[in-house]
Amino acid sequence: MNSAGEARLLLLGWNFRTAALSVRERVAFSADEVREGLDRIRREGLVTEGVIVSTCNRSEIYGVTEGTATNEHLTRVISEWRGLDIREAEAGSFYREGAEAARHLFRVAAGLDSLALGESEVLGQVRTALRVAREAGATRSVLHRMFETAMSAGKRVRTETEIARHPLSVPSIAFELATKVFGKMAERTILVLGAGETGTLFAEQAVGAGVLDVRVVNRSPARAQELATRIGGRAVPWDALQPALAEADVVVGTTASPEPVVSRAAVEGAMKERRGRPMFLLDLAMPRDFEEGVGELYNVYAYGLDDLREVAEENRRRRSREVPRAEAILEEDLARFLAWFGNLAVVPTLNDLQARLASLRDAELARLPAEERDRFRAFADSIASKLLHEPMRRMKAEPDTSRKLDRVEAVRHLFDLDK
Amino acid sequence: MASHLLGWLAVAFYVAAEAMAILALVVPRERLGWITPALVAAGLALHFRDLLLRAHALGSVPYRTLGGSVSLFGWMLGIAFLVLLLRHRERAIGPFLIPFIVLTTAVGLLLPDSSSAPAEGTHGALFALHVTLAILAYAAFTFSFVLSLLYLIQNRQLRRRQTGILFARLPALEVISRMNHTSVVIGLVALAASLAIGIVRAEMFWSSLADPKIAWALITVLVYAALLWMERRGWEGPRVAVLSIFGFGVVMFSYTVVNVYLSRAHRFR
Repeated sequence: MNSAGEARLLLLGWNFRTAALSVRERVAFSADEVREGLDRIRREGLVTEGVIVSTCNRSEIYGVTEGTATNEHLTRVISEWRGLDIREAEAGSFYREGAEAARHLFRVAAGLDSLALGESEVLGQVRTALRVAREAGATRSVLHRMFETAMSAGKRVRTETEIARHPLSVPSIAFELATKVFGKMAERTILVLGAGETGTLFAEQAVGAGVLDVRVVNRSPARAQELATRIGGRAVPWDALQPALAEADVVVGTTASPEPVVSRAAVEGAMKERRGRPMFLLDLAMPRDFEEGVGELYNVYAYGLDDLREVAEENRRRRSREVPRAEAILEEDLARFLAWFGNLAVVPTLNDLQARLASLRDAELARLPAEERDRFRAFADSIASKLLHEPMRRMKAEPDTSRKLDRVEAVRHLFDLDK
Repeated sequence: MASHLLGWLAVAFYVAAEAMAILALVVPRERLGWITPALVAAGLALHFRDLLLRAHALGSVPYRTLGGSVSLFGWMLGIAFLVLLLRHRERAIGPFLIPFIVLTTAVGLLLPDSSSAPAEGTHGALFALHVTLAILAYAAFTFSFVLSLLYLIQNRQLRRRQTGILFARLPALEVISRMNHTSVVIGLVALAASLAIGIVRAEMFWSSLADPKIAWALITVLVYAALLWMERRGWEGPRVAVLSIFGFGVVMFSYTVVNVYLSRAHRFR
């Protein structure tokens, strides 16, 4: 079941697969615009609940509706608001209803719909989307439950499968390799050769990952100092490179030097001073910063850009292999949500409630002498039907779909009808 | 030979623990992490009961016979495994270590207990301490052996950029090194103490030190002392791991061939 009575789930979206950047830019919403968008689609009566997930890769509008709201209505409202040509908006969009809309959200939350398969950032973006919508008063029981279930399914996928476990970016792969040599990295010393773009990026990543001692060496001392100050590290003069090498556990080469700046002999000397403690060399420079053959030295672990790209490719494959298992987990949780949603309709809920009362009545009647049971049954039924009449009428008559679903949910919860 | 029903039941628990440990390595589920230690603990309880029955049947400590001593060896490995698991929470070691518990326990159960009279000097608290310390040392060296294998595996994976499941699960080289160092220090101290007690008693009872077991124990001490010295000299890493594996070979030789064929005083009765 994928609808509660007449209520339907729907989804209108633009993402990096379906829409060109020029369209995606127009339908990317800031938090304020998300609030305005939610306001508009509810004011137009298109949906009674809504959540908008808007990130740099996707803009997706989730809603609950009972009316005749369709793809075309929703697209028209959005394209008019954003000043977008309606044909262009339609061409780049995708539309889902019912279980398909929910399934899409579950896949997004699990990172299965992301460019970097299994990435975790999207989970936070989904959480933010729900929070913004809730604060704007745009969510009720249905979307709230749908998003919460999707997020918990997303977390399950990441802990129970390998999909988020193998790093994909060059710095994070380098960091994983170094961690497998040294264990905790916080207490280690990282020396960055070069204060250019790559050097800056790596130094920032290291500080972000909790490394306390990051040192920068650069031919122009001013730039080394500038970067060191910015990241809270230490600048090392170029002519102090050799002693700095001996003190560093991890050395990252990022200079633009046309020939290697660290010779094999220099690393050999450093290793002697380190009394053989392992050293991790990462060459991100093009051409290379470390002389060839440094990786053959005892206890020296050396990696180049190509090595890391190879690992990245392998890790991507490892993540893809986990997709079927991830999907199985999603389907499990999705089925739970859809069963709950399917039960939210008024009629089945009233039937469940009557069945509950009937079973209570029968249990009580069983304790009476047989000859009195008929009389008491009629009496009990008369009370039950009088008691239920007004709530039933009001639930059926409620014009606002979401409020109706809220009430059905409250009844199901109060009388424990989902057990 | 006693039937050792409890002992075999313990082996079954250890085998189940190994299966769970491998499963936990492949499928990471925090919720299932307690099953392996629980199975090992249950196996240890049964195993202990079996050792007690054995001692009863022999009318002596269970390690007067080769079978009993190997069985106790397995039991100590199990205890050490649980301690290590609780302390370091490095589950990845389980699949590599538990087979030793299974093997030693099973071999201990298969070896016959003869009923000859105990040799002179094989009773009393000091004798018990001597043997217990020696077996503790063997257990520690077994750990060191397994950790060294893991070190070499992890080192090879790092060098070959093999970043699969095993790579992700095995601890960092530095961590394995530290655990290995602790094992070697414990083994060395225990063996040296056991050796000292043994020498004193050999003089007391046999007024002779001409026992190959003493020579082999000294060689073992020298190998592991050299290992610690190498570590200090800055050769930590694969070389130390290889030496530790060699040291374990010496230990096994001393425990089996020397005991059974060469040493008269250490022949099990």
